Amino acid sequence: MKSPLASLPLFHIGPVPITEPVAATWAIMAVLGIGCFAATRRLSLAPSGLQAAMEMLVETIDSQIRDTMAVAPAPYRAFIGTLFVYVFVANWCTLVPGVEPPTGHIETDAALALLVFLAVIWFGIRAVGLRGYLASFAVPSPVMIPINFIESISRIFSLMVRLFGNVMSGVFMVSIVLSLAGLLVPLPLMALDLLTGAIQAYIFAILAAVFIASVVGDGGTKPMPATQGTAP
Amino acid sequence: MTIDWWTLGLQTLNVMILLGLLQHFFWKPVAAMIAQRKALADKTVADRSALDRQAAQAEADAAKTRGGFAAERAALLTEAELEAGRARDTLLAQARTEAAAFQTAAKAAVQAGQDAARRAWSDRSNELGVEIAGRLVARLDGDTVQAAFLDWLVAAIAALPDQARKALADHAIALSVVGTTPLTEAAQAQATSRIGAAFGYRPQIAYTTDPALIAGLELHAPHLAVSNSWRADLADILESLGHDQRH
Repeated sequence: MKSPLASLPLFHIGPVPITEPVAATWAIMAVLGIGCFAATRRLSLAPSGLQAAMEMLVETIDSQIRDTMAVAPAPYRAFIGTLFVYVFVANWCTLVPGVEPPTGHIETDAALALLVFLAVIWFGIRAVGLRGYLASFAVPSPVMIPINFIESISRIFSLMVRLFGNVMSGVFMVSIVLSLAGLLVPLPLMALDLLTGAIQAYIFAILAAVFIASVVGDGGTKPMPATQGTAP
Repeated sequence: MTIDWWTLGLQTLNVMILLGLLQHFFWKPVAAMIAQRKALADKTVADRSALDRQAAQAEADAAKTRGGFAAERAALLTEAELEAGRARDTLLAQARTEAAAFQTAAKAAVQAGQDAARRAWSDRSNELGVEIAGRLVARLDGDTVQAAFLDWLVAAIAALPDQARKALADHAIALSVVGTTPLTEAAQAQATSRIGAAFGYRPQIAYTTDPALIAGLELHAPHLAVSNSWRADLADILESLGHDQRH
């Protein structure tokens, strides 16, 4: 019997198995890449509706980064924003019939968590240097080094499990209800699943920002500019 | 539950690629456009602020210019008032000077008129006095008057210094007696007798007439004259009156 948690390969490229989450991610990448390319080709000072929506999205993410990290948002905008957009779009893949959200598979969530783990290290070292980053584990005292180290791992693990559990459970519940009831009965659950997916995307991005801010802010981050601008 | 490490790796790679794609095609251009619009808005605000400052500066300059006009007007008025004051003072001084000159000239003219009138009245008085005296003399008895004037003449000769009388007597100098009317032989003899007694010798006397004497009998010698007539008396009176008026 097939496990719902298993990622079965759709096909192989050489020795590499291409599973459904990877294919779905490629599709998401293609849609987002082409869509963004098309949408941002003719940006103007007098924005269209689509451009206004895109700018609102950027402004909102910048605002969240400023509120969460208390730093200038430009260096972190792409990473935090991409996490949010990808997780959001991936969670909402259930709107496409026959497509399961990539985030409903542990590998995708693990990949996202791994990227957050690496980003924390990268941004931390870039902001406060290697010594400052390592010193952040000794806060408030060196006794806390093991605990802080375990925390840096566990929080990434919890990040992964949280996203995986919420999305996967939603998919399971919709599948179970769909198998037991009629066609329209799972609709409220699907709507709830979409809401959960949006919230999880927001939570994932905000937690990533919090984790990065925990190391960036400890070592004396650059102060946020007085202006709340969105310099690239 | 197992983890497909290939999927994990591919998904990691996919998300990184997606990160690059979105950074290049979405985050960067959109943020650049936002920054561009914000810069344009800031520039517009700055331009507006500059215009406001220019307007405020222009308003301040206008106010300063208006203040300058008022100050200049006040200065001109003050200068005009001072100039008018100086001109008024000058005119007043000139007027005072001219008035004083006029007053002095008027006083001099009045004085001159008064002097002229006084002289005229004096002359007229003289004439009147002479005329009155002449008329009075005409009514008097000629012999009596002649006798009186002869007495006064003898008294005047007696009052002369002795040296003067002696000098005439020593040289027997001829004398001249002037009267208003010719003297009779008897009168001439009497006069010669009394005059000779007064001098102490018997002089040779020539008797002449001069109506201008009004009345009187005068004695003339080369170095001596005894005025004994009303003409001489009137002259003395007029001289004394003129002396009193001058003082």
